[in-house]
Formats: sequence, C-alpha cells, structure tokens
Amino acid sequence: MDKVSISLNINGHDQEMLVEPRKLLSDAIREDARLTGTHVGCEHGVCGACTVLIDGRPQRSCLTFAIQAQGKSIHTIESVENKTGGYTPLQQALHEEHGLQCGFCTPGIIVTFEAYLKDHPNPSDAEIRDVLSGNLCRCTGYQNIIKAIKKVVAVLPEVQTEIEAGDEYFTDFTSIGKRMPRREDHRLLRGQGRYLDDIEVPGALHACFLRSPHAHAKIVSIEMDEAKSMPGVEAVFTGKELVEWTTTMRMAPPIDGIKPVEMTALPIDKVRFHGDPVVCVVATDRYVAEDAIECIDVEYEPLDAVTDMFKAQDSQSPLVDDMLDSNLVSHQTFSTDGIDAIMEDAEHIVECRFAEHRQTQLPIETRGIIAQWDQGREHLTLHVGNQAPHPYRTVIAGWLELKESQVTVISPDVGGGFGQKIAVYREELTVAAIARHLKRPVRWREDRMENLLAACHAREDTVRTRAAVDGDGKLLGLTLEITEDFGAYCFYPANYLARVIAMIISGPYRLPQYAYDVKVVLTNKCGNGPMRAPMAITSWIMDGTIEAIAKHLSLDPVAVRRTNMLSERDLPYTMPSGEVLEDVNPLETLERGLEAFDYQAFRKHQNADRTQKVYRGIGICAVVESTTYGSKFYKSAGIPGSGHEAAWVKVEPSGVVRASVGLASTGQGYETAFAQTVAEGFGVHPDDVRIEIGNTDVAPYGMGSRGSRGATAGGGAAYLVGLKAQKKALTIAAKLLNIDTIDELSMRHGKVWHRNKGAWTETPLGLPDIARVAYFNPAELPEGMEPGFEIFKAYDPPPMTYSNSTHFCEVLVNIGTGQVNIERYLIVENCGTVINPLIVEGQQHGSVIMGISGTLFEHVIYDDTGQNLTGSLADYLIPTACEVPDIDIIQMNTPNKNTPAGIKGMAEGGVMGAIGAVSNAVSDALAPFNITIEEHPISPNSLRALLRKNHKGLLQ
Amino acid sequence: MKSGKFTYHEPTTLTAAFQLLAELGDDVKIIAGGQSLIPVMNLRLAQPEHLIDINTIQELIGIKETNEHITVGAVTCHADIETAFGLKAACPILPEAARRIGHLAIRNRGTIGGSLVNADPAAEWPLIAILMDAEMTIHSGQEVRILSARDFIQSVYTSAVEEYEILTTIQFPVLKTGEGWSIQQICRRVGDFAIVAVAVTLRLQQDGTLKHLRLCLGGMDVTPLRMTMVEKDAVGKIPDAAWIEDTSKSASKMGSPGSDMHANAIYRQEICEVLTTKALNEALHRARKQEGSPYG
Repeated sequence: MDKVSISLNINGHDQEMLVEPRKLLSDAIREDARLTGTHVGCEHGVCGACTVLIDGRPQRSCLTFAIQAQGKSIHTIESVENKTGGYTPLQQALHEEHGLQCGFCTPGIIVTFEAYLKDHPNPSDAEIRDVLSGNLCRCTGYQNIIKAIKKVVAVLPEVQTEIEAGDEYFTDFTSIGKRMPRREDHRLLRGQGRYLDDIEVPGALHACFLRSPHAHAKIVSIEMDEAKSMPGVEAVFTGKELVEWTTTMRMAPPIDGIKPVEMTALPIDKVRFHGDPVVCVVATDRYVAEDAIECIDVEYEPLDAVTDMFKAQDSQSPLVDDMLDSNLVSHQTFSTDGIDAIMEDAEHIVECRFAEHRQTQLPIETRGIIAQWDQGREHLTLHVGNQAPHPYRTVIAGWLELKESQVTVISPDVGGGFGQKIAVYREELTVAAIARHLKRPVRWREDRMENLLAACHAREDTVRTRAAVDGDGKLLGLTLEITEDFGAYCFYPANYLARVIAMIISGPYRLPQYAYDVKVVLTNKCGNGPMRAPMAITSWIMDGTIEAIAKHLSLDPVAVRRTNMLSERDLPYTMPSGEVLEDVNPLETLERGLEAFDYQAFRKHQNADRTQKVYRGIGICAVVESTTYGSKFYKSAGIPGSGHEAAWVKVEPSGVVRASVGLASTGQGYETAFAQTVAEGFGVHPDDVRIEIGNTDVAPYGMGSRGSRGATAGGGAAYLVGLKAQKKALTIAAKLLNIDTIDELSMRHGKVWHRNKGAWTETPLGLPDIARVAYFNPAELPEGMEPGFEIFKAYDPPPMTYSNSTHFCEVLVNIGTGQVNIERYLIVENCGTVINPLIVEGQQHGSVIMGISGTLFEHVIYDDTGQNLTGSLADYLIPTACEVPDIDIIQMNTPNKNTPAGIKGMAEGGVMGAIGAVSNAVSDALAPFNITIEEHPISPNSLRALLRKNHKGLLQ
Repeated sequence: MKSGKFTYHEPTTLTAAFQLLAELGDDVKIIAGGQSLIPVMNLRLAQPEHLIDINTIQELIGIKETNEHITVGAVTCHADIETAFGLKAACPILPEAARRIGHLAIRNRGTIGGSLVNADPAAEWPLIAILMDAEMTIHSGQEVRILSARDFIQSVYTSAVEEYEILTTIQFPVLKTGEGWSIQQICRRVGDFAIVAVAVTLRLQQDGTLKHLRLCLGGMDVTPLRMTMVEKDAVGKIPDAAWIEDTSKSASKMGSPGSDMHANAIYRQEICEVLTTKALNEALHRARKQEGSPYG
C-alpha cells in the first residue's frame, strides 16, 4: 500500500506525516517527527529501548505500526522534564547515582518509570526489578539504575562505599578522585544524545545487505535485475564491483606462528558463515532496500561446513579459507626452561579442563556507518561509532586507496562497544566505497539479527591444563593447551589470546614455570573479535586450578591460595614471562574479602544447609588485570601498533579551556573523567574544561579506547598536558607579576596563587588575563615564548600496568531445577588512582554483570550444519534486572609508581573475576555430588544433566 | 528488520470486519495487540497482503463479571486483566496469569484473544483457558460457535479459528468459595516464555479429602495438557505428601515434551514433576486458609 497521510499526537503536538502502513511507530517518531531520543535496539520487542507512552502507558514503539497510533496521545523522552524544564526527580537521581553509561537504553527506562511511579509511588525492591526487567542494559549491570529509582521513592538510605587505607594518598588531588556526576548525562538523560542513527544527512541513501543463509557455499550466480529496477532502489553491488574500489583487507601481522589472511570487501567466490554479507542494496530507505533484497536471487552451491574446532584441524575437514592450507591460522607455543623437569619430577599433577563458549558483545546499539564523499574536496567523511577512530581512519583510508588526510572519522555518541566497535568491518568499507562511487551520501544501520549473526563473536576456547604441585599445594609449574574457535574471518590478530595469556596467566599467583600451546582455528562461523576481557578465561583457569589442587590434596582452597598468592611484600615479582608485577596487592584483597564476606561463618552455614539438602557454594577468583599496553608491549609482542596516547589543551582568548585526547567513548564518561584530569594538571575547575573527542580532525592521533587503557593512557595524557599547560600559564603569570620563579606560583580553579614566605595568597591574575596576553599582547610574553596558548603532549605509558581484585560469590543451587541464584557478590579491588569513583564503580558493576551473564546466560549456538540458532534476543540471553545480584565493592587502591597521578586503568577485571567466581561457586555448591563445572554456560538444563550423570554420587 | 508492504484496514465494528474478511481473499491477517505478530512481520516470516486491525472494535474489549462467570473481550489487553478491580476477589488466577506475561510494555498492548489464537504452547492464556475449561466464542459473518478451550487450542500455533472468523469473547468460570489455585512456571528469565508451566485449581471436602481437581501442564506437548484421568481419580483422595508425589510423577510422564536449545525433553519432565509438587502445595495452602473454606 502506498503512503497514507496520518496525524500523530506526540508530546502534545499534532504531527502530520506521510507514511506507509508498515512503517513502525519507532521509525515514524524518529524520522518523521524527528524525535530521536527514542532508540531502536532490536525491533522484536525484547530490549525495551524503544519504549514510549501511549495514552500514558509504556509500550514498545517497535511493535506498533505508526498508523495504529492515530487518535492516541504519545509521549516520548523529549517530554520528560519538570515544570521549569529541568530534570525530573528520576532524571536527577539517575544523574547523581550514575544510573546510565552509554545512555542508549536510558530513555526507554525513564519513560517506563515516569509512568509507573506515578501510579505506584512506593514500589518494593522486587517490584522495581520486575518493571525494570522489561529494559535490557549492557553497561550498568542495573545496579545504579535500581539505586536511583530507590532514591526517588526514598527507600534507600545513603550508602557510603567503604574507603580503605591508601586512599589518603588521594586527598592531595582537587579534581581527581571526586565523585563527579557526568556532564554527558545532560544530553543523554533527555534523549538529546546524537547516536549514529540520529544524525540527519539530507539525501542519504540507505544500504542493506543480503546475507548468506548457508554456513559454507560457493556463490554461483547473482540475479539482481529485478532489484535494480525496483522504484526507490539506486543501485545494487556485489563483491565483484567492490573489488575495483577497494584493496584487499589484509590481516597479516609479521609474527611467527600466525598466517596472514585476507578478505575482500564482500565475498566473491564463496560464503563462509551463516550471515556472511553477499550483496549490498542501496535505496531511498531501509524498507525499500529490504524489499529489493527479497527479489535478489543468489544461486549457491552448498559446501560441507565445519563447526567444531577439533574437527577443523583434521586433514579431511572442509577448508574455511582457501588461501590457507589448513584451518589452523595460528599456532604458538612457549615454555620456560625448567617446565619439563618440573612436570616430570612433580609429586602431584592435577589436570583440569575449561571450556568457554561462544559469545558476542551485544551493545544495545548495533553497528552502522554514514559515508559522505565530497567530490569537490575529494574528501570522505565517515560517521561511525568506533572506539579507536584514528587507527580506523588509517586502515580504511588504506583499503580505499585514499590518503589519510582525505578521510575524517567521527565517532558520535555510541551505544556501547565492548570491543565490537574497533575493527573496520567489511560492511563499513563497502558503504564507504559505494558512497564514493555514487557521489551520494550512503548510510547503514545494522539490525539486531544481523548483529547477532554477523557482527563479531568472541571467546569459545577449550583449555586443558596440568599443574605440578607439591604436597602443600604449592604451584610449581603449569602447562596449558588451548584451542580457540576463531570463526571464519579474522577481525583481529589470531594470536592475540596467546600473547596476553603468555603475559598474565599467572595473575596473582607465584608460578615459577609454565608452558602453553595455543591453537587458533577457523570454522564456518562469524569471525571473532575482542570482547571485554578477551583473556578472561585465564582467571577461571588459575582459580579453577587452585580449587582442583585443594580438592586433590584435601586442603582448604583458601589455604592453597594463601600458599601461592602474591602479597605486597613479594613485589616486584618477575613473572615467568619476564613481565614485572608491581603495585598490586592480591593477598591483601583476598584477606580483606574473606573477612568482609565472613568466610568462616559461610562454611558453617553451608554445612548446616547441606544436612537439609540445601546447596550453597562460595566461589573465589583472584584477578590481576593487565591494562594500558604501552608501545613497548606491542614491540615485544611483535604486534604492529603502539600504545601511546596524545592530548592537547587549547585556551581561547577569553580563557575557556578546551582539551582533547585520542580516545573515543562508548559510555565510559570520558568527557567528565578527562575534564577532571586536565583540570587537575592545569589547576582549573573541571566544569571549565570542555573535552572534544571522537573526531579525527579535532582529536590528536591516539590509539583508542580498549584494553582498559582509557584511564592510564588517556587520563595520563590528559593530566600531563594539563600540567604542561599550567607550567606555560604560570610562566606567563610570573612575567606579568614580576616574580622570578614559577616555583612560588600555583594555579587553582583558574586563578594564580602566590606563595610568599610560606603562605599562599590569591593574585588578581586569572587564566582569562593570561590568555588575552598570549593572543592579543604577545609582546608582554616572556622572552622567546610563542604567542597563543595551544599545548600538545604525547604520552607512552609503561608496557603494562596492572589492577588487581579478588571476587567472592555466594550461590544457591536448586538441584531439582538446576537454577543458580547468586545470593551475594563482593569485589575487593585495587585499581590505582581513581579519577572518578562514580564512573569506576559503574565499570566494576558492568564488567561483573557481563561476566555473570556470560557464565549463566549467553550462548551463540550453531547447529552441526553451521546454522546460527540464536539470531534474536529471545534466544541470545542476557540477564534482566531480576537475574542480577547486588554487587558490593571494597576499594583497596594503591597508586602505580610509574604513571601520572598513579593511575592504573581497569574495567575488564570484573569479567575475569566473575567467570571464575561464579564457576567456582557452583562447583563448590555441588561438591557433595562430585561435580566440577568445566563448561559454560551453566544453564539449568546443563546443570540438571550433570546432576543426572552423577546421580549415583553421594548426597551428603 | 522491516515488514513487507500491506494494505491497512481499521474496521470499527464486527460487521465491518466480517465484510472485509469476505472481500479481501486469503492473504489477510487480523492484528490485535501485535506483540507476537509484528516481530514475525518485521522478520518477514509473515507477509500478509492485508492487515485488519481490530483494536478499535469496542464490543471486543472489556471484562464483565457475574456470580458465575468472567467474560473477557478478546481484544482486552493483559494489563487490564491484571489490574481489573473485581477479578482479584472473584477469580484471582486470571490476574496472576496476566501478570506473568512478558513485561509491562508488552502487557499494555498484547491481548488475551491474540495470545489464544496464536496458541503458543508455552503461553499463559492457553494454559489457563484449558485449565478452567473456558468457553471461546467465535464469530463469523454467518454464525456464532462456542468451543471449549480444549477444542479451541489445536496444536502448536494452531487454533480452531478459521480465516473468516474472529474470536470475540472468552468466558471463564469464577473460582468457587474455598477453591485453591496455583500457577508455577520455570523461565530462563523473568518475562520469558515458560519452559514448563503447571496450573492447578482444587477444592476440598469438610473432611479434607479432594472434592474437585483441575491440573493442566504447559510446555509438555504441542498444546497444554489436562490431566483428566488423574483429576477423576483424585476425587475422594487425601491430598497428602504421598499423593502429591504420585501425582507429580504422573505429570512428568504426560505428553511428549520436545527438546530445544533451552531445554531438552528430560529436563522438562524433571521440572514438570518439581512444579506440579509446588503447584499442588500452593493450591492446597490457599484452599485451606481461605475465608469460608470448610477446612479453615
């Protein structure tokens, strides 16, 4: 049916629009009414991001056709404000409690609760969670959202996070260490963020991909005439055409043990996984593009698919990449000199197995790109939600055979990344190439099914370990055999896991000797990429091994940890890899946590419950999280690239401060945290610093946001550039005040202070005065100083910095139903100097919940023929607010002696600790049945299967 | 994921709706709440040429109570059943079933009629309708027929409604004085479809023996299953722990549960037994503690 004229009453205004009946209300609100605060996360009614009010009641706008909403009164996030245009109590509480990070799911939550709380002003904790369960969040772990809602209904008293000794260090700072609510919230709480899909580009065409239904097949022919001639379709492209406008995408780091791989922008000869993109349709809108896709006839010749990482290594296995001679794309081995002797002579050898399953990052905002080619300037502007815009630009310019100076990459507000938004994807390259060829802007927004099938997968590692121990449980050596299922394409170097495991496997433990053999194998599944803590399995391996040692020798697992764990006294400790561990306190966090968790009382409780056939378990997992990755790391790992970071500060003639760093945000609050670090270095107030990030024309070349490097590399660079700026400002001030040395001067909140005979007094000079001289009266500047006030600083952090934590998890396992309930969860963490405790706690929450989610719920499932069975959020599960525990945090922070302000970086350790802690907890609960968790996810179905197998095991 | 094209019709009366059904041919779908249909259309798994929206047909919306029955219009949304004032007293199992469906936003739009015609084996309304022997009134342009819920729900995603018909009302009996009830489910997460569900109503004699039992299982076969043999045999029995255990074991052997990625058949059988025990215990507890219950 053609378009009809409808009138929708939105936020009190009648809006006329011309829409097809099939146009979803979510799209009509966003495109026709131009209210982009309502976000689209799935289009099958599960995630809740699109929730609006219809006649005062929360409803999914993706599950209503716009034409059905006539005659009703619709309210969106844009209408949520108090009488004077400020925050409502709910928005205020979310702001104060850091109840949002990337902000993509936030409007749906606000709209739901504004309505709900009106009718239910005093909900219980259970009722709050129940209502919140209709909205999925991937960043916050729901902790602070619930806290904020409770604040509004005045249920929750103020709770202080416990501060441990060591925090006195931080009272020297004026901005760093402050629980500053974020400035990003101002736009995100009101639905005024600008995510990719919110950016209007007049005349833009919409791209859409036809994707392979087969896991492995030759592309025989593609019949596109009907699609090409469909009204509204501008063009249709396949891999053959794109080859003319792009170079081959090479993933070929020059490292031993890894094979170079290549891919074309779109496959030409064959498809390698279910969802592999084959054809790109470009049309006036997405609806038309999908109509055209239905008319395209691709003839495939199906091939046998391989979906098992072990079978993939057989010589008879189907070959995933025809340019390689086998599916083994990377094989790396390493051993310390003494490992063989240790394993041979050992008194005890304990063997374990750990199988991590396939997962995907699942940001609530899917991927997308907008490409605009300016023919006159011969310049390509790309809007793309990406964590590392500069490296992205370097790579995509190369693949398009453009100079880097011909490409601008702008990362706008991004609805979560978690490692999925780093690589340059083939779809993005395709869209960019097409935009240049058509000389028209082209945009693409991935839908949720594509995101689950074809964006990027992660994990799926199987590990066998052998640990040599003495009679006291002391670890003497460890060998690991790891096989990873990398999928069909390499979106990042296949040897990454081996590299990181090599460095950090020992974690918080003393491990004198070890050896590893890491095989990375291609299969007919979506390719792997980094996912928050790609090395997460290492913590499960170490703490699972500790538990196995304890069981083998009938020792208390806590005692075995004490025997092997590093304490501050043991530092610096040189790990078998040669890395030096400093400024961590694993044993101290273990002891503190055991006390806070009341370990002794738990064991009593556990035993008593067992007699009643109630099965509780405690899981401990100690984490040393590698963060930052300075350039020396890349060099020694043989991985091309660097780990340095860059920042600039510019003071305008009026004295306002702008600053930038080479990272892009996907919800980490950099605009606030970096304002704090610049302000700290510079001596101004954070509110007076404007942070501009994400645009490669504006920000200095940096290595992006990943590997928990944001705080050290980014925050460090920002702090250092602030110090440099302060030095310049004070040098100018000294000249203007006629003072000999800047040692007696200091900048505080933008004013110059002078110390005279030990006492500090404020001078009349402030930053605006200094700036005015610098720009408009340079003759007054100190001899030899350049006019203007723009400072640049690059910072190369240490090759590695470390945060550490110990996680404690108590579970209750219902052996009848196989359900696992997490009763308590505690982290004791040392993450160094904390720039903004609110933000850091948010990262701790989010990472722990992601680890719990992976261990209990998530699973990308392929059948034997390579069909991906989990293409919707009804099948790929992440927990709702009802399935997550409350997380308690005890901080035991100590600074890193080698970084600016002692910053260490964090945000992946939570995933590492949670995977190990939950696994160990369930194993502990099921110890009477002689069950050890070796595989994930721990679903009720799989737990019951384990119990059934062990039914003959003793119940007491 | 965007739906294919269709022509949209919004009749405001039943008569108009039947006229459209007669005129428009085969490629027609009726849309009520759309919470199941629209995702399927967005995925292009269903691509009707015509969509008839019955949400504005007022005679299909509303809840009527008498001393004997609750009659619910097919296009009444779950949220309205959940919060209907009189129901918590007269027939509390209905608001409880409604409360468990999806999430708030889904319940504000999804309808009882839509759920029943969709006949998902794991859904709440088919389970409760069959439990309570609800009567389903189906209208066509020509006639009216009334089916028992057991005849209405035929198989997976298959109800007895023909292409030219519309389900108009669902009539439930009220719960009797002293009647205990329970709904038990296991889901992966709150708001998900149940893997297995068990629903029970029962009444006791003065002497504590069973007077009446209704027991229905969801997720154990292509439709919810009433345990009619067990219900007959139960009359006069003492509902003690042994009887509960036996009944639960029988329940676990019912039907032919399938296996999918979330649960295999054996698991369904195991939790069916667990849930039946829970349901019977809860129903008994409710029966025993009610006002006016002879077993007070």
